[in-house]
Amino acid sequence: MNVENLKAYIESGVLELYVLGDLSPEEALQVEEMAAQYPEVKSELTAIEIAMESYAMENAVAPSADIETKLFEKLGLGKNEGVEAMSTIPAYTEEAKVVKLDNSDSKVRTLRFALVACVALLIISTGALFITYNKLNAAHDQIASLNLDKEKFAGVVSKLEFENKGLDNMVAMNDSKEWAIIRMAGQAFSPKSKMNVYWNKKDKSVLINYVAMDLPKADAEHEYQLWALVNGKPVSLGVFGKTDSTSTEALQKMQAIQEAQAFAVTLEPMGGSVNPTMEKLAVMGGV
Amino acid sequence: MTAYKKLTLTEPELVLALHSKDPAVLKTLYSMYSSALYGVISRIITHTELAEDVLQETFVKIWQSAAHYDNTKGRLFTWMMNIARNLSIDKLRSKDFKNSLKNQDIENNVSFVDEQNKVTFNPDILGVKQLVENLKPDLQAVLNLVYYKGYTHVEAAEKLNLPLGTVKTRIRLAIIELRRSFN
Repeated sequence: MNVENLKAYIESGVLELYVLGDLSPEEALQVEEMAAQYPEVKSELTAIEIAMESYAMENAVAPSADIETKLFEKLGLGKNEGVEAMSTIPAYTEEAKVVKLDNSDSKVRTLRFALVACVALLIISTGALFITYNKLNAAHDQIASLNLDKEKFAGVVSKLEFENKGLDNMVAMNDSKEWAIIRMAGQAFSPKSKMNVYWNKKDKSVLINYVAMDLPKADAEHEYQLWALVNGKPVSLGVFGKTDSTSTEALQKMQAIQEAQAFAVTLEPMGGSVNPTMEKLAVMGGV
Repeated sequence: MTAYKKLTLTEPELVLALHSKDPAVLKTLYSMYSSALYGVISRIITHTELAEDVLQETFVKIWQSAAHYDNTKGRLFTWMMNIARNLSIDKLRSKDFKNSLKNQDIENNVSFVDEQNKVTFNPDILGVKQLVENLKPDLQAVLNLVYYKGYTHVEAAEKLNLPLGTVKTRIRLAIIELRRSFN
């Protein structure tokens, strides 16, 4: 075969078909004979093979990992027993790099610091909370005592107002010509006591003024009763004596009396009596 | 601590070992070539399970017919690749494969058909795929049929309605383009 024919043979594409396995056995045999005979054909064939091989290598796709195991099981070659892959080219033998897990070590350290910081923070917080709680308690106590003071002062103020009113009334009554002031003096029961009764000459109404009164404090079962002596007979004008702070009026209106020679106050059981208990006659004064 | 060994042998060493039927050589062959061969197979058979079956059958056949390999006739990889290609094409035309098509659920049909028609989506080979796409369209058409779809050149000629000689020339030109790109 001359050079021209050889070139035509190579360019016919039959070698490519041979490499692709796309020839009949007879045609394939022919190519093999040509290759054995002509180095040009052989080298062209090899070049085509290498190109296809490189192409296949470049287009490699990794199969599932278990295929290899299945294959060896199917061939009865066992898994890996005694089947150590061989390699005469130790060109690419590389110890697996051991990367120390410094990273996680430092992470643990960081976490430990964080934990300590958390605990410290917790202790400080608890302490602060405790101090705050104590301060709050003290403040509560203070508020309570201030409230108490306030109430006390309010009491004092209202008492002062009460007395002031009473005094005003007294002054007004003193100035007025309508009111007769009967001064009652202490008797044997309570010698130091004294009290005024105000009797209106016009309408005969009777007033007493808590401010203008100095009687021993009555207990819970007793109160004072005002009497008028009319022609030697006592006439009840009503009870009084609850000098508690709830009554804001210093003046108390008693029953009116048309005429009287004297006024007296006795200590009687709660609700008053029909007749005065003379042993407990506190004050008395004539008109 | 185990040392990682990349399994490589030169081709004459492999051939020698293959003829002696040393089980270790199969492991080496698998390690060196399974991905390349699976790349060839999975281009022809896009159904993953079937393609993996074919890969397994390929290595079984390589192992069983190791004695028939004659290195004077061609390179080891060419021999293995042709085993893989032939088994793939056989599978593609087998009852087995046709049944697997029939057995697809109706719901899966659309995606399955898509899968059958797509060439590949493997991003690793995009570069090379690009190369094939850069071929002239007439070269590309021939290479697609013969290399990716397992057609013989005779079938490709019929399919493309071209003379046999033209198909052969186009296959050659396409492979020359590949050779150029690898040099």
